[in-house]
Amino acid sequence: MSDQLYNVAIIGRGPAGLQAAIHSGSKKAKVIVFGKPRNSGLYKARVANFCCSEDVITGKEMLEAGRKQAESFGAVFLEEDIIEAKSENNRFILVTESGGAFTFETLILAMGVARKKLQVKGEKEFVGRGVSYCVDCDATFFKGMDVAVVGNESAAAAGALALLLYARTVYLVCRKPMISDLLHERLKRSEVRILQDTWVKEIVGANEVEGLMLTNDESLKVSGVFIELGAKGAMELAANLGVVFDAETFSFIETNKKQETNIPGLYAAGDITGQPWQIAKAVGEGCTAGIEAAEYARKLADSERSRG
Amino acid sequence: MGQGVLDVDDSSFESEILKADKPVLVDFWAPWCGPCKAIAPVMNQLEETYGDSIIFARCNVDHSPNTPTKYSIRAIPTIILFQDGKVVDQVVGAVPKSHLEELLKKIL
Ligand SMILES: Cc1cc2nc3c(=O)[nH]c(=O)nc-3n(C[C@H](O)[C@H](O)[C@H](O)COP(=O)(O)OP(=O)(O)OC[C@H]3O[C@@H](n4cnc5c(N)ncnc54)[C@H](O)[C@@H]3O)c2cc1C
Repeated sequence: MSDQLYNVAIIGRGPAGLQAAIHSGSKKAKVIVFGKPRNSGLYKARVANFCCSEDVITGKEMLEAGRKQAESFGAVFLEEDIIEAKSENNRFILVTESGGAFTFETLILAMGVARKKLQVKGEKEFVGRGVSYCVDCDATFFKGMDVAVVGNESAAAAGALALLLYARTVYLVCRKPMISDLLHERLKRSEVRILQDTWVKEIVGANEVEGLMLTNDESLKVSGVFIELGAKGAMELAANLGVVFDAETFSFIETNKKQETNIPGLYAAGDITGQPWQIAKAVGEGCTAGIEAAEYARKLADSERSRG
Repeated sequence: MGQGVLDVDDSSFESEILKADKPVLVDFWAPWCGPCKAIAPVMNQLEETYGDSIIFARCNVDHSPNTPTKYSIRAIPTIILFQDGKVVDQVVGAVPKSHLEELLKKIL
């Protein structure tokens, strides 16, 4: 193995990521897992249909047990979201919400699927006319304007900070920021205007976005609203790496039976690769991805060593 | 099969798109945009199928600031179908391939 601290990175600590960590760890790869248990689809579930667990168990219990198991195989956990992923010289670089950057030989994407729509009046009507789901893509169209970002987690906080470079005023509409302390500090020290304990009731405008109605009955005049719920998902993180999505829905990452994507060293497992959205499928794919990723990292290290 | 996806910019937009003798599907994109990368191969696939009767083009908004402003583009990818210099329809975001095919069927 290489001298690096970690060689297999896993984004996501749901059943897919946990099982991948267990199998990668058992192959003696040095594994780190990013993500938060409460953001797993399983966190609030009560599970009755997973093989070999006779009694109904809660998802929360499963996630905790999985973490302990993975740790016993040497995996390390970091309860942070990834806000940026890129690749350079056959290596993957991940940036965490607190600003740490890590480099890895292999990467397993196990981010699950999360709801990204706000489901309020005006949202659908104004897509592309002030409503955006991607700060990284669309910030440039709002130079000198007033904009709002909606969301409680890392994607919204990081998005609001990024928008300061373009927009005149940036509001962050959130119930409560659920982000790392370091990111929270950066946010509080920045010029982002944080509107807390509130949410969006309606997006208003004639032909394009002109403002927001908030649940505390305040209204906000903005030309743009960036909906950034949860953590950055497959489209935001993985598309930048050049991953191929299924052409039909553009929601799922294409893999083969080894859970390989089109990018060497990059694997995907769990809900992120498509239906059925079930634990059994997630752990099955996680197992394969974990083994394959560990093997890939070992071969890469061997070939680099023999080349000197 | 046609010519591949054509790169256009502010200066060639009028001649290549608005004055084209065929309908044109234009993908407004930028290198920093993840969803744009995801949809690029679909434009290529569609071009292989429909390239004889429709021109497929892409416009990098980073190099061409005027055209996106003219068409009030505020999110990318935005894909616009032009015919005889006029906008027939447009979609925003990395939409499914079938959705783009529906769009093309309007004019085929
Ligand atoms: C209410 C409910 C009940 C369910 N009941 C059942 C059931 O009974 N049986 C069954 O088989 N399935 C059930 N499911 C489905 C099951 O929960 C999912 O199929 C399973 O959790 C998928 O696992 P996953 O690892 O792919 O993703 P998830 O479990 O969703 O985990 C995703 C992980 O990725 C992390 N993540 C996301 N983005 C980032 C980022 N940018 N940076 C870092 N980390 C990130 C999250 O923090 C999370 O840890 C249920 C789902 C729900 C919502």
